[in-house]
Amino acid sequence: MRFFPYLLVVLLVTGNASAECRDKECMPNQYTAEWENTTDWIFHYDSIFTIGDNWFIIFERLEGPSNPDSITFEFAKGPSKITDFDNNVTKVNSGSISFSGSSFIEESFHNVFYINFTRNGEDGEIFSSYELEIQINKPPAEDLVFLWGGMTVFWLSIGLYVLYISSKFHELSDKIGVENNEPREKN
Amino acid sequence: MRYAREYCGVIGFILVLFTLYISLIQTGPAKFFTAPNAQKLFYFHVPSGLITYLAFMMVVGGSAFYLYNRSDYADKLSKCSAELGLVFGFMSLASGTFWMKAEWGGDIFSRFLTDMRLATTLAMWILYIAYVVYRRQPETFTVKKNAAILGLSGMVMVPLSYLSSRFLRSHHPVIVGTEDQGSLDPSLRFGLYMGLFGFLFLYVFLFSTRMKIEDMERRILKTKMEEI
Repeated sequence: MRFFPYLLVVLLVTGNASAECRDKECMPNQYTAEWENTTDWIFHYDSIFTIGDNWFIIFERLEGPSNPDSITFEFAKGPSKITDFDNNVTKVNSGSISFSGSSFIEESFHNVFYINFTRNGEDGEIFSSYELEIQINKPPAEDLVFLWGGMTVFWLSIGLYVLYISSKFHELSDKIGVENNEPREKN
Repeated sequence: MRYAREYCGVIGFILVLFTLYISLIQTGPAKFFTAPNAQKLFYFHVPSGLITYLAFMMVVGGSAFYLYNRSDYADKLSKCSAELGLVFGFMSLASGTFWMKAEWGGDIFSRFLTDMRLATTLAMWILYIAYVVYRRQPETFTVKKNAAILGLSGMVMVPLSYLSSRFLRSHHPVIVGTEDQGSLDPSLRFGLYMGLFGFLFLYVFLFSTRMKIEDMERRILKTKMEEI
């Protein structure tokens, strides 16, 4: 009987939710790329893309003379996004881009993620490309915890009851055997 | 038949294990459910719920028979069946609570207060806790008679719990005897029947063991009384 309140407490505690963090401090990985041998760009990202959660990459420009016209973010086998900079107006110091949590369906490892810098100069397109390695992770379904919780309580309760009547049966069999001077009654 | 009780237990255990295989491995996550994995509790929740009703109806029958002709066997039957009804009822309520939390979400306390199927089933279960607790005292004629009257109240509680999802406000699905029964997926139906038969055999095994324990207890008590 004491188990039931514990069960209720567990059920109450399990219903929590965590918010997405979009700050660069929350990103466990970072990568530094160089543009035209003059400007360093730092990319903050999480090398694990969790299916169902939006995936962010935050970039910031360190000191340097120029911006590219655009940065393209592209999964080798997946979606891509582009950030255009208006070079004539102002230099961009930071920004971010996100990919939807539903961009992937299946788990896969060692995916190549390209960061491409481009600028249309007088000599044509200047291009430099960098590669990151991203793991696509499919988390276990949230309702599995309820399935295992239900199953555990279920099997524990019938198991404990069987143990209880089994021990009681043997105890009484012994008692009757002692009183009548007989061997234990067969179960 | 010799060893009939043991055979029942073994067959029941094998059928329940087979149900476990069907639910967890053979059938994939259920379609059209918010919690497709937790839906697998269905194969255990429904059979244990039906066995709970069977056990409590046996208490009702035994109590009525005891009040009619003071049959000692009917009294024993009620007592043992009530205990088993509590065990299976707990299994059904607990598995249902986990499934409900995953499928419907929300606060489980308010669900138990506002959903009539849940409320009446919990009330029925608590009523039989009172019955079992009451029976833990020395068994005089008055105790047996009062317990039989209490046990007979299941005549109202069991049908009320069973029918509440049809006639009262409830989210609990109704399958038996409705159009949904025919639309049950064959794999789902097979697993359900397998679980139902498994738990029925387990119930018969546990019930006959519990009856035997009750016999032994009464035998010891009788010997002691004779000695005094």
